[in-house]
Formats: sequence, C-alpha cells, structure tokens
Amino acid sequence: MIKIEKRNEAPNSIYFLTPVLAIFLTLISGALIFFILGFKPLEALKFFFITPISDLYGLSELLIKATPLCLIAIGLSFCFKSNNWNIGAEGQLTFGGIVGGGVALLFYNHDGFYVLPSIILAGAIGGMVFAMIPAILKVYFNTNEILVSLMLVYVSKLLLDYLVVGPWSNPEGFNFPETRQFSESARLPILIEGLRIHAGIFIALISVFLAWIVLYKTYLGFQIKVSGLSLKTAKYAGYKGKTMILLVFMVSGACAGLAGVGEITGPIGQLHRMISPDYGFTAIIVAFLGRLNPIGIVFASLIVALTYLGAETAQIFLQVPKYTGQVFQGMILFFLLASDFLIFFKIKFLGFKKYEY
Amino acid sequence: MNTKLKVSKISKIYPGCIANDNVSLNFESGKIYALLGENGAGKSTLVKILSGVINSDHGQIFLNDKLLELNSPKDAKDNNIGMVFQHFNLFETLSVLENLSIDSEKKNEELRVLVNEILRKYNFKIDLDVPILNLSAGQKQKVEIIRCLLRNPKVLIMDEPTSVLTEQETEDLFLSLKKFSNEGILIIYITHKLKEVLSLCDEVAVMRKGKVVSVSRTRDEELSSLANKMIGESLIKIKKKNNNTLSSEEILKVSNLNFISDDPYEINLIDINFTLRKGECLGIAGISGNGQNELFQILSGEIISNDSSIRFRNKEISKLNPKERREFLMAFSPEDRISQAAIPSLKIYENVALNNFKTSNFFEKGFLNEKKIKNHSKKILSNFSVNTDNVNLKSQFLSGGNLQKLILGRELITSPELLICFNPTWGLDVGAINYIHQTLMQINEQGKSIILISTDNDELLQLSDRISVINQGKLSKIINAEDVNPEKLGLLMGGGVIDKN
Repeated sequence: MIKIEKRNEAPNSIYFLTPVLAIFLTLISGALIFFILGFKPLEALKFFFITPISDLYGLSELLIKATPLCLIAIGLSFCFKSNNWNIGAEGQLTFGGIVGGGVALLFYNHDGFYVLPSIILAGAIGGMVFAMIPAILKVYFNTNEILVSLMLVYVSKLLLDYLVVGPWSNPEGFNFPETRQFSESARLPILIEGLRIHAGIFIALISVFLAWIVLYKTYLGFQIKVSGLSLKTAKYAGYKGKTMILLVFMVSGACAGLAGVGEITGPIGQLHRMISPDYGFTAIIVAFLGRLNPIGIVFASLIVALTYLGAETAQIFLQVPKYTGQVFQGMILFFLLASDFLIFFKIKFLGFKKYEY
Repeated sequence: MNTKLKVSKISKIYPGCIANDNVSLNFESGKIYALLGENGAGKSTLVKILSGVINSDHGQIFLNDKLLELNSPKDAKDNNIGMVFQHFNLFETLSVLENLSIDSEKKNEELRVLVNEILRKYNFKIDLDVPILNLSAGQKQKVEIIRCLLRNPKVLIMDEPTSVLTEQETEDLFLSLKKFSNEGILIIYITHKLKEVLSLCDEVAVMRKGKVVSVSRTRDEELSSLANKMIGESLIKIKKKNNNTLSSEEILKVSNLNFISDDPYEINLIDINFTLRKGECLGIAGISGNGQNELFQILSGEIISNDSSIRFRNKEISKLNPKERREFLMAFSPEDRISQAAIPSLKIYENVALNNFKTSNFFEKGFLNEKKIKNHSKKILSNFSVNTDNVNLKSQFLSGGNLQKLILGRELITSPELLICFNPTWGLDVGAINYIHQTLMQINEQGKSIILISTDNDELLQLSDRISVINQGKLSKIINAEDVNPEKLGLLMGGGVIDKN
C-alpha cells in the first residue's frame, strides 16, 4: 500500500534529485515512444543521447548550443526568482541580434579592435531595451508581463524578417533573405582550429559567475530572493518594488541580447530569418531544470543542448523529424513539474500488510 | 410550513482554544435571529458547522426534529440550509446566469424562467447576461441570495452581509430579508453591528468566548445592554505601569489622513486625526476588518496616504516607504507573522536582515555581511529569550511565540522611538503573551512610544494609556484608559457613538 503524506520540510537533496528523476522519466518515456514508432528503444536513445557527443566535434557542437541556453537562463533566473514572468527571451534575443547585427553591418569591412566589443555591447543594450517594454508597462500600467513579453517575440521576429528581405539584405545575395556575411573583425574568435566552438562560451561562464555573486552575496540578490518568496514581506521591508522589476528585466534582456549577438557573431556570421531555434523559449526549461541556480543552470543547459543535437542525429539516422527534440524538451519540463510534487509530499510505502480502515 | 432548527450542545475544540462550548440554541421560522459577538466569539465556527463546512466534536443539529448529518456543504444544501458568506463565491468573468447554472441541475432556459420569477417577486434588478465583474457588491450578494433561493431554503444564514454594502444596499437587503422571513424562511443573521440587530432582528443570541451568554427578544434590549453583553463583565481593569514617564513631547501627529482604496474588500479610512506623546501607548480597538490593516500599512509606509498627513517629530514623513521611516527610528510589527513580518523558509539571520538600518551595515557596499548579521541575530536571540541560539535555523521551526519574540526583538534592538504593532500576541500561549506584554511596558517606561492596534480588549486595557476605537475606517474620540468601560467600548465597536462628555 502506498500512502501520500504532506512534508513538513523538504530535505535540500530533493531539489537536486527531482531534476534527475525528471530526466530519467523522460528517457523511459522517450524509449517508449521510439518503441511505438517501431525502433529499437535502446538503440534509438543511443543515437539520440550518446552518438552526438562521442567525438570532439560533437562536444564542441554541444557547447555551442549550451552557450546561448545557459546565458538566457541565467538572465531569466533573475526574473523568475523575483516573481516576474518574462516569457519573451526569444524576442529579446532576436532584438539583440538585430541591433548587434546592424552595428556589424555598419562596420562592414572595418578592421579594428573596437568592432567586436561594440557589436556585443549593442546586442546587450538591444535585448535590454526590448525587455524594458514589458517591464515599464507592468510597472506603470499594471499590464501582465507574460502576455506582453510573449507577444513582443513575434514583433521582433517579423522585424527581423522585414530587415533581411528588405533594407539589410545582401546586395549580391540573389534576393536570399539574409544579410552580408560579417567581416572577420566582427566575428567571435574560434577557440580550437577545425571546430566551431567560439569565445562566446566565456561570456556565458562570466555571466554564471557574476550571477552567482549577485544572487547569493549581495543586497540586491537578497531583495530578489525576498520579493520572490513574499511580496508582502518585500513591501514591509521597504524594498523598491518597481525599481527591482525594471532591473531584473534589464538583466534578463541583456543576457538574451548577448545570446543573440553571440549566435550571429559566432556560428552564424550574418543575419537571417532563423538566428535561433527557439533558444529563448527552451531556456525557460533550462532555468527551471537548473532550479534557478547558476551552477544548476550550467548542467541543465548541457542536458537540454543535447536534445537539440540528438534530434539532428536522429533525423539523419532514424529519419524521424528533428522536432522530436522539442518533444523531449517538453517531456523534461512536464516531468520536472510533476516530480515537484515530491517537494511538498512524500510517498510512504507501507508494504502489502492488511490495511486497516 | 413551520421550520424549527435546534442546535443542541454543540462543541468544537481547536488546539488551545474552545471555539464552541456546549452551544444550544432554538430557532423557529417567521423570525429573524441575530447571532451577535466580537471576533473569536465563536459565531463563524457555529455557522460553519451549520453549513457543513466543518464538523462539530460534540452535539447535534435537528431540523424539524430530524437529526441532521452535515458532513459537507452539499449535505447542508440538500437539507435546505442556505448560506451567504461574507466573501462571495462567484466567477467574475462568467455571466450571472452561468454562475447560477454551475450548481443547478436545471437546463439554462428553465433556469432563466425560474430566476426571472425570483427577480420579479423580490423586485431585484439584475441583468442575467452581464459578467459578475460588472456588478456592484450589493448585486453580487443578490446573486448569492438567488442561488440559495433557487433551492427553496428553509433556513438562510447570512454571515456579516453588510460589511461590503452601501447604506442604500443595506436597506434593500433588510427589506428582502424581512420578506423572506414573512414567507416562512428561517433567517439567522450574523453580525457585530448592534444597530443592525435592533433594526432588523426579532431575537438575539449573544456569544462570547465560545459560549452563548444570552438569548433575548430585541425589543427588550437597547444598544448599551447589547454592548455590555457582547464585551462582557470580564473586562477587569488591570492597572498597569506607572505613567510618570509620560511627557508632553509630541512624537507622532496624524492629521486629516484619508485613504480611498480601489479594492472593494479594503476599508477606506476617513479623516483620521491623533497625536501620540513620548512614552505613551495609544491603543486602537475595534472589530477586525474595520480598517486596522489599512491604518497599520499607512503608518508603516507600505501604503502611501495623502500629502502631509503624518508628521514624526515634526518632520513630514507621509511619502516615505517603510525602510526610510525606519531611519527615523520607527519600528513595525505587523499582524501577519508568517507571511509578512518574516518568511518561514528563510533562516533566522536572513529574517533579521529584513530590518536593515543604514548604520547597522548589514550590507556593506551592496555586499552581504553575513558575519555582522549573524552576530546581531545572536544578540536578539539572547536578549529576547528566543529558545534557540542557532541563527542558521529556518524560521519555520520556531513556535509562534518564539517567532514573535524574534520579530519584536529585531524591531526593538535598535531602540526605536516609536513601535507600531498590530495584534502582537495573536494566537500565542500565555507565557509568550506575558513576555511580550512586559516587553511592551518596559519600552514605554524607557520613554518610547507605542501604537497598539489590537482586537484583544484585555490587552488594550492592560497596556494603553489612551484608547480609540476604529469602526468603518473612522477613529472614535480618544478616551483615557481609566474611563473605558465595557459599555463604551461595545458601543463604539458596534458603530455607536458615546456622549461627548
């Protein structure tokens, strides 16, 4: 017999064990899905999760995909921790990409140490400005930031669409919807010859470190934590709620903007319609899988990045659509939320003894 | 047909409190019954038992001599007992008819005919197709009443129904209730408003501390006799501290303070005026939900009131937030220990850091100085005899009394000039209450001032130098604690006025 009881207090370990449980359940369900589709489950899972990272090239691709996920999720953790639901990181990424890309095109054929830093800065500011829209509307007009930030995603995507087919399209590009390739001076340096891994990973790692310091060692981090746990208490303590909303959205937008600019100056090297395979949305899963903890987010970004790679390998070897990756991402979030049940309740196995009513 | 409701020897015991102590009452249709009492008298517990929301520990309920088993609100409904709660249970975005159809088995068209009949009969004017959110509080209440009427109730229980109504709406409600009563519906009206009892009801049962202390006909009662019964003779004056520390120096001056809320469940404050002297304790009495919450939040700076309404030591502070007010050496202890004054999932030292003075340097250059906060916390734990010395303990493991000591300690260790506290001993055991009362007296003796907002009259009389009563967002005349008697307090709390002399 099984009995479900409310916990008085959740042990700390449960916060790390439930994500592991969620991943485990995702693998089992994934195997089941592959089985139903007529594949050998274990072999399919191997194609999905092992083959992609079995060589150096694969590992470099993994890090390339994990970098933007990690950056965005770090930014989102500031919002989510303080009860601000920024769902529009994808839009902030895109807008950061647009602004950074614009600067890169402006410096086309320029050579100079200032080119790359100004592009990166422009990207961060772009994302920040775009994130300020839902924040300002929330603070001054009491709008719902979930809806506003989400809808702005499509605004920025359509804007990018317009720019790459219209004014910014490559003059020698045979009307393909893309800009010129950026000059060498506008690209993030490649770290290892022959692989695509680039210096963007350092931006992500620095942001992880800074986020850890801010969230756990500063007054600002303390205020974010208190506001997230109880807005009533934050008010009573006299924290400036409005300033904080603006601030966490700025941090979050800047991180997403950096991720966007990291993509276009890193692996892509130009602007086109598809600068992000929904990194901004997937990063929401990463942030929660990492329990909004900077170190947790590093691991979570690697795991979720693997679903992107696995989907590509599976498409090649198993001829399943690459959207299988999104199925896995969805399952991870689903099982994570479901296993959070264990934070509040514990399951007691009472054995099969006769049950007394 | 005549309806008789008999409540026999009902008891309900919660840990540390007897909510209903052997309550027996008889009700008969054709009359409107008032159930009168202050907070915690046991009225709500009794009606929750009658409406099946909670189970009694002992006792029985008979409807027309039939023993009722009320294990759920559905049981009550099935036995034709209808209940209109103080807070409405309506879906704001659904239309009136949709709301009514939720717990009705009838088809929409059939229901519409029935509801229209009720509307016509009682002269209610409500459009059935508008969403609830477009209705006034009075109209929403009518929807709740219609919901009960659809089930042909024998008994209709109204829980403090006028707290959200305007005067006109109250009059309308009374007319309707009298009509229902004439039609044979037994009406039980729960309130703490004395005037309403006299103007509406035929019989009145007064409850105090879980017991029924009197049942009488309202025509044999008057405001003062009801007030006396509600507050009780138990109000013994406990002569407190010597107030020779009282000086004429003015600490806080509140003048023409007004607050109009957007939230219909919040109370508007109207023209609040008082001054507080050094070393004085000003008690603010009242039935809960009469504006105490709003007043506390305005004094602490969580809500910003109108311009230049609050002066502290002759400095204008109306626009300052709580953190800025603390720098003026004001301290605040809210009513809600668990979700406002402290966060249970935070460690003790983190909860201490919530009250952060510039001079305490908890956060040097924006960085957390854990060592300093922890040392400061240790001092609070030992000075205010909290029964742990582990500052890393999560606050949820402290008992209510110890948590309150921690909060008061946090507020008092910096020697504030003024402490504003709201129900500081609510829900605590006797030992903790005594400790906190002593602490509050001590700080008065040290020449510090206190504003004590409390719903516990004994506490107010024991600690206050002067007392004012808040009712419907208005403060009464301030009376010296020595001149307070149960009659005066009861009258003021029930919305009456006392002689100017």
